Amino acid sequence: MSNTKTIPADRAGQSIWSFLKYELKPKAKIFTPFNIISAPIVLLGIVIIVIRFAKGIGSVTNLTQEVPWGLWIGFDVVTGVAFAGGAYVITFMVYILNLKEYKSIVRITVLNGFLAYVFYAGALLLDLGKPWNVINPIIGNNFGVSSVLFLVAWHFLLYMLAQLVEFSPAIAEWIGAKRAHKILSGMTLGAVILGITLSTLHQSGLGALYLMAKEKIHPLWYTEFIPVLFFVSSIFAGLSMVIFEGSISQRVFSDQVSEKNHKQHNKILHNLAKICAVTMFAYFFLQILTFVHGKHWNHLNSPMGYWYLTEMIGFVLLPMILYFYSFRKHNITLIKIASVVTMIGIILNRLNITVIGFRWDAATHYVPSWMEIVVTLTVLFVEIWIFRWVVRRLPVLRESPAWAKNNH
Amino acid sequence: MDEFTYTNIFETKGIEYIIVIAFLLLIIVFWYLINRPIKVKESINSAIGYLNDKILRIPRGIFYSKNHTWTYLEPEGYAKTGIDDLLVHLTGPVKIKQTLNPGDKINVGDKIAEIYQDEKMLEITSTLSGEVAFINEQLISQPELLNRDPYNKGWFIKIKPNNWIEETKEYILADSAPKWFQNEIERFKDFIAFSLKKNNPSSSEVVLQEGGELIDFPLAGLSTDIWNDFQKSYLKQ
Repeated sequence: MSNTKTIPADRAGQSIWSFLKYELKPKAKIFTPFNIISAPIVLLGIVIIVIRFAKGIGSVTNLTQEVPWGLWIGFDVVTGVAFAGGAYVITFMVYILNLKEYKSIVRITVLNGFLAYVFYAGALLLDLGKPWNVINPIIGNNFGVSSVLFLVAWHFLLYMLAQLVEFSPAIAEWIGAKRAHKILSGMTLGAVILGITLSTLHQSGLGALYLMAKEKIHPLWYTEFIPVLFFVSSIFAGLSMVIFEGSISQRVFSDQVSEKNHKQHNKILHNLAKICAVTMFAYFFLQILTFVHGKHWNHLNSPMGYWYLTEMIGFVLLPMILYFYSFRKHNITLIKIASVVTMIGIILNRLNITVIGFRWDAATHYVPSWMEIVVTLTVLFVEIWIFRWVVRRLPVLRESPAWAKNNH
Repeated sequence: MDEFTYTNIFETKGIEYIIVIAFLLLIIVFWYLINRPIKVKESINSAIGYLNDKILRIPRGIFYSKNHTWTYLEPEGYAKTGIDDLLVHLTGPVKIKQTLNPGDKINVGDKIAEIYQDEKMLEITSTLSGEVAFINEQLISQPELLNRDPYNKGWFIKIKPNNWIEETKEYILADSAPKWFQNEIERFKDFIAFSLKKNNPSSSEVVLQEGGELIDFPLAGLSTDIWNDFQKSYLKQ
């Protein structure tokens, strides 16, 4: 991939259509190992999605009336949104706290967050019996104002718009729209403030969705503080994603990263490790507090109890110690390992609430069908393809063109 | 005497209060521990981009020359040649112009390539004589290879040497190399202090005090005059 030519930052007098036509062409090798693995899965996934809409959700999933939400909601939506939390944390640090050293990762984080919302929240459509009704909360047809889903729907929509505005200067730089760039750059701060407000609310809102399933969720995971736990964990989940994704981007798109930003990246990872360690420390105590508050010690000595302890010790306490240690020892490799362990922990936590601990006492457990897994991978791979397409063309990792730099 | 009344501490949420208080106390300890000054100075230096001998890549088994090129005799009999990590760290990112073609004959002191940064240029000269066998064309389209991997993918040319044993006698090797690079950094500090003064007499640019650290890529922001000076008095000693 490294032998890719970087495109000129300006479209150099071409008309916008011929420029876009040129940009649509592939810029790198087509037969990379990643493409060879992902392409058949995506093709299969598309076939399954067609079947799902033609024959109904029961034809491809193992969902039942008892377990109406499965992997698509539990992983794609709930976990995906937690990982997208990096965008609001990083924009808060750069635009509100004015920590300029993180500026080089703002665009890639916002792009990642935006695509995560578009795809993972978009995956909601797969779950809806009548997907065209998704427009109802927006157009005011039967406003379900007392529903948490109403809040989540509006928040997702507004947040996607806010992220698009945050990212739009990069699009303007790409097509060389100087006037638009000036206007859009001016809107960034407003969009950031709106975005942070929305994020903090709907990260917890997603958790609040599960408050209505009190009887269905295992008592060790059910607590009325799920919204708070979801919000706090989204901070280090998002930052761990930033560390993980950033480390891969620095390698895969090494031709796009300037030497200065490349050097600075380790410093950024080092600082993010500290933020993760501190927030995980607070999160761990919140977990202890909700556990004591719930008084469910009798459940600890059971298979689900051991599983709960595995999550808390192996995937909260351990990565927190790893972050702490690697920050102190300045060990960048260990920081990356800690980020992976943390991400696994977040996936476990969200799945424990939404899938594994959901109707844990039912006679037959919900296990996702292979088709649900293929569709989940399809959503993930298509998102990565688009992410890669954008990074290769827009000034996301590489420097903005000279004309754009004075506009900020 | 009053009757003894038993209060269930769980019902009063006493344990929860204790946990909250414990958390507040522990976060102070945690905050103190995580913010203690870190003693590993060189790793901070490499992270924030100070140039010192600790961040230089100095592999053993490579011949380093005083003009900051290196060479290495491959089993096939070709001497792979490039520029060393110190020069890469001094100049920062550069573009490379290969001036030779396979088959060209070269002598000691002949130009083997030019490295550019905007209009500033340095000539890289050969310390071997022989015939050019290969040139690294990848380096022209991907000059960043030089910064990433100066001793493997960042090679410039491969020479079929005429007089390997005689010409490599002066080279610096293995154990003596780190010490030599350390001295070269000190020599650069002297050079830059002198050259800045000469070329910008009234300049208020960074003056290196005794014990001052060099930032990484010190030449990157400096003028053509200083680059020319660097070529004449630092590289050709």
